[in-house]
Amino acid sequence: MTLPVAHALASRQDLPIPAWLFAWAASIVLIVSFFALSAAWRKPQFEDEHRRPLGERFSAALLSLPVQVLCGAIGVFLLGVAVYAGLRGTEAPDRNFALTFIFVTCWLGFPFFSAFLGNLFRPFNPWRAVGRAAGGAFASIAGQRPAHLAYPERLGRWPAAVGLLAFVWIEVVYGRTSIVSVDIEPHAVAIAALVYSVYTLAMMAVFGVEKWCDRGEAFSVYFGMFGRLGIFGARDGRLYRRRPFSAATDWAVVPGSAAVVIASIAATSFDGAQDGAFKDAIEKTFEWFIDRGVGLTTGLRLTDTIFMLLTFAAVGGVYMLGVRGMRTVPGAPSFKQLRTGFAHTLIPIALAYLVAHYFSFFVFQEQAQFGYLLSDPLGTGHTDLFGTVSNEVDYKLLSANAIWYVQVAALVIGHVIGLMLAHDRALVYWPDYRKATASQYWMLAVMVAFTCFGLYLLSVANG
Amino acid sequence: MLPVAHVGHYLWVFYVIPILIVVGAIVRNAIAQRRLARDESGESSTARGGEFTKRD
Repeated sequence: MTLPVAHALASRQDLPIPAWLFAWAASIVLIVSFFALSAAWRKPQFEDEHRRPLGERFSAALLSLPVQVLCGAIGVFLLGVAVYAGLRGTEAPDRNFALTFIFVTCWLGFPFFSAFLGNLFRPFNPWRAVGRAAGGAFASIAGQRPAHLAYPERLGRWPAAVGLLAFVWIEVVYGRTSIVSVDIEPHAVAIAALVYSVYTLAMMAVFGVEKWCDRGEAFSVYFGMFGRLGIFGARDGRLYRRRPFSAATDWAVVPGSAAVVIASIAATSFDGAQDGAFKDAIEKTFEWFIDRGVGLTTGLRLTDTIFMLLTFAAVGGVYMLGVRGMRTVPGAPSFKQLRTGFAHTLIPIALAYLVAHYFSFFVFQEQAQFGYLLSDPLGTGHTDLFGTVSNEVDYKLLSANAIWYVQVAALVIGHVIGLMLAHDRALVYWPDYRKATASQYWMLAVMVAFTCFGLYLLSVANG
Repeated sequence: MLPVAHVGHYLWVFYVIPILIVVGAIVRNAIAQRRLARDESGESSTARGGEFTKRD
């Protein structure tokens, strides 16, 4: 068995109606939701977070220095285990702790749980922990805080968007074309993690730990983006509860934020389409490269890279069309303002795509993570740390139909939340609710397009 | 002859139909709005023209 990193696990379903009828039903749900919002939602509700502080002692305990040090140490330790397992462990992708830990437990787990509870990655971020410890050590030795260069604000979150695409490229392009196994090699992942660690720590030294985490560190920005949907946050040394989704409204004001969320949707879409909807086109392009004398591995990597970038451009293009449509409504702000102002409405869609594409994969692989991978991280068969090395993955835990219904539900709920956030933001730009509604016809088209596209990708991948 | 064996290749059409319906409705609405605005501005200019005629 190999680790099927590229796809959600699903077998052929036995659905009562054709899969495409679900797309029609989902579109009807979106249209009905749109008109319900227009009729009943006439004042912005999400511009204010409505913060309610949690108990003072509880906040103080959770945000205390010892707890921060402990969480940071756990993050550094787990990163170290993953790198060590990658370097010294087996090359079998499904038996090495590194792959499942990085590509499943962290990559999928943090978005899933942060979307409900707030940014969970921040306290466990290993690079932030090391950067803060190094800064603290410098201050105690030199007697002054380390000086940093001013971050070029025009760059915004573009470094994070590029980092995100690079990470996904390693997973679905480089990994697919590795030589040793059919999936990415643990050794390559460990080397990539080390290179990224050096790059991140260097950037933190130059621009400051918190600044780089907010703008350039791909994982902090990516997981933090989903954390904005959650109900808990921290500010001024105090934990608080807030209205769900409300913290997302000001997330996209930094340049490049739209690129991050578009990259997230595009990465998931490409991963789902690579062996499904795009398969024929990828094969034809690959053959075209081979006919022109390009090597097999290079040809496949080139083809996949081109299709991944095309997916990014297509997802961005659909969003920009929606924004351009809004510009036609009288009283509209500038294109740039609209583009930035509505980017946060794509966050629930990015989450919906993640859940729809990887939910089953996450459920199955976490059984491996907390079973045999935990007891035998290197996958050598010589250790059994917690007595769980003989645990197997139960693939009957979820039926194919159950997976499909979760996928459909995730896409519909995610897009309805996206519509709701877009309607709410439109009421800020157009206080007259009739104009706000008129502006959102275009976002409705964007949401219907993303829903149908997502369901099409899943139906092809599952079929 | 209808290539029934390859009909699966064209299933994507069913996923495009809802998008086309929504986009079609938006475009139709935009055209109707524009026509209404043009008619209203035409009526108001005719009315202004009438006033000038009376004064003259």
